Amino acid sequence: MEVQKEAQRIMTLSVWKMYHSRMQRGGLRLHRSLQLSLIMRSARELYLSAKVEALDLEASSPPAACPDPRLHPPREAEVPAASAPPDGEPPSPEPMDTQEEEEEAPPRAAETLARYSPRPTRVSRKRRSSSLSDGVDAGLVPSKKARLEEQDGAEDASSEVPDRLMPPPAQAEGAFPNLARVLQRSFSGLLSRGPVAAPTAPPARDAKPACRPADPMLSVLVRAVVAF
Amino acid sequence: MHQPPPASCSRSSCCVCARVGVRVSALAPAAAPCPAPSRSLGPRPPEPPSRGTSTLPLAPLGPWCSPTGSPAPLSCETGCGEGSWILVCRLLVPTQVSLLSMEEDIDTRKINNSFLRDHSYATEADIISTVEFNHTGELLATGDKGGRVVIFQREQESKNQVHRRGEYNVYSTFQSHEPEFDYLKSLEIEEKINKIRWLPQQNAAYFLLSTNDKTVKLWKVSERDKRPEGYNLKDEEGRLRDPATITTLRVPVLRPMDLMVEATPRRVFANAHTYHINSISVNSDYETYMSADDLRINLWNFEITNQSFNIVDIKPANMEELTEVITAAEFHPHHCNTFVYSSSKGTIRLCDMRASALCDRHTKFFEEPEDPSNRSFFSEIISSISDVKFSHSGRYIMTRDYLTVKVWDLNMENRPIETYQVHDYLRSKLCSLYENDCIFDKFECVWNGSDSVIMTGSYNNFFRMFDRNTKRDVTLEASRENSKPRAILKPRKVCVGGKRRKDEISVDSLDFSKKILHTAWHPSENIIAVAATNNLYIFQDKVN
Repeated sequence: MEVQKEAQRIMTLSVWKMYHSRMQRGGLRLHRSLQLSLIMRSARELYLSAKVEALDLEASSPPAACPDPRLHPPREAEVPAASAPPDGEPPSPEPMDTQEEEEEAPPRAAETLARYSPRPTRVSRKRRSSSLSDGVDAGLVPSKKARLEEQDGAEDASSEVPDRLMPPPAQAEGAFPNLARVLQRSFSGLLSRGPVAAPTAPPARDAKPACRPADPMLSVLVRAVVAF
Repeated sequence: MHQPPPASCSRSSCCVCARVGVRVSALAPAAAPCPAPSRSLGPRPPEPPSRGTSTLPLAPLGPWCSPTGSPAPLSCETGCGEGSWILVCRLLVPTQVSLLSMEEDIDTRKINNSFLRDHSYATEADIISTVEFNHTGELLATGDKGGRVVIFQREQESKNQVHRRGEYNVYSTFQSHEPEFDYLKSLEIEEKINKIRWLPQQNAAYFLLSTNDKTVKLWKVSERDKRPEGYNLKDEEGRLRDPATITTLRVPVLRPMDLMVEATPRRVFANAHTYHINSISVNSDYETYMSADDLRINLWNFEITNQSFNIVDIKPANMEELTEVITAAEFHPHHCNTFVYSSSKGTIRLCDMRASALCDRHTKFFEEPEDPSNRSFFSEIISSISDVKFSHSGRYIMTRDYLTVKVWDLNMENRPIETYQVHDYLRSKLCSLYENDCIFDKFECVWNGSDSVIMTGSYNNFFRMFDRNTKRDVTLEASRENSKPRAILKPRKVCVGGKRRKDEISVDSLDFSKKILHTAWHPSENIIAVAATNNLYIFQDKVN
């Protein structure tokens, strides 16, 4: 539990640093952002492995299927809360839409994050769930609650945590309070949902080597970084 | 009324500029040189070989890695262990604020006059961000966060004051870079000088390259000590004369004047980097140089400013797959076709420009396998190399990551030949260092002239020297308490646990806001320059 708390604290700290690095003079530092994203990933893995251990201690034979239905209702409940900040501010990123620099344009990354797609082309920026029908994976609906544990591998639903972080900072400095609330909600939600969420995750996660260049998690975190 | 020092700064009255802002610790007026000290450094505790020194394997080293055995052409070969270091001078970089505020009211003047008060009131713009000796060691250039370059010149040896030799005084000050704004990306471009590199001197003028995040500039620093007098068409004040009054013809004559040092930008190399420039390196052919940012390295010709060749590009097609960035790059000191660059993953690549135009395939790849016992949560980011330097011989490269300095032989790629722990006591404190952002500090490392001693900085204004031959190391402190001129530096020691001896300092009382990131070593003598925030300390080996 201590490990989990510590990992969560480091994750929160990393996100805060990422956001703060956007504000500093000189613009986004690529190296610093990359390092922060590495820390985020390590913290996440630590958090999840700690959670897995905690679960192994508790449950004898956790069924794989039944937690999922229980998972969806809490996820749905979070949807309106999560989508409130993004919905409130669609107009202001519009002007930033014209920037082409993929490394540094927050709205582009926000949009990329909104629909995890290997295609580099840009499609509609709207992040309504209806427009995501052409999205690659249903698991990556950004307005849903972060599900760090499930559906790893190709889909990489863990983009949702950075997803939810994207909309507020993409707008303006005033969104920072929203970000803090979002973070608090997402991470406290993670903790509360801990016991039910783990079973399907560990096999998928363990199968993945820690440092793979095309690691989707890292790519998502990099996108989170880029968006910042 | 004091003005900020103009780009050209009169030398004799440069002392005016210098004295106002720069506090050079005056040497004691005693004529006698420093008496040989009793060994008052205190007993040097014998250090177990496993701590703080090289971790060479027990087997004798093969011929491919014999450390330099030839006697060094230094004025005194004492290495770092036997000799002792004394403070030559401590220089405060002149702040423009202090010069402007001479006439202001008392309160502001108290705050701004850095020559009355100490660095506690200095602005952030005075923080030194790079230090570099020129090729003869006569000049020392510093760049700061405010975009200024200050060049110090070594005091010439004179018969009267023998002991004054070795002191550095302000030679020239100029504003190299200004803050800019990139309107397209809505980004401010910092004016902080990231690196300065001197060109070898080829005529009476000095040339140096200075760079900020985006733009490299070539500056010419020249002296003017003669002035033409006796123009035909102009009178002595420079006004045009009435042509009707000109009845004779004469040739203007050059007459001596007060020495004036002026700096002019000769070339501006801009708009070639998308990311932040972290290194520049002058090639040994003295015609080209390279500039490296996070993902690309460009090769420039000094004469051509509107074009550069991209020689390394590690940007992935999909930025989401980015895993490493370039952190430093340097040309080989003798082979103009060879250069190395280091990455954030702790690897070094050596490239040969003859192989292909785009050197994406390395010729050599230096990487040490990770020690599994040292693996921790922060392993990845502390393995990021912050500096890479070729030895003067060109045979070795030295890399600095967060906790260690490593020396590599160019002929062996699978591991370094020497590893030195700089501050291993921080390994257990990485989490707190992450919180206060210290884990991202980029320390530099330097060789001495004979490649026998390496030096790097640490926290609490400590800096460390490692003697490669004797395997001894020393920790010294650049602090104002030792600021008496010719004060001998006492070796410092950090207590890692257990009983703390009298003059040891415990890890928890280290001041992490005082860090020494930038140091420089004179190319041929045992004189070092250490930048601590906005103070520049110059130390000299006492035996000198």
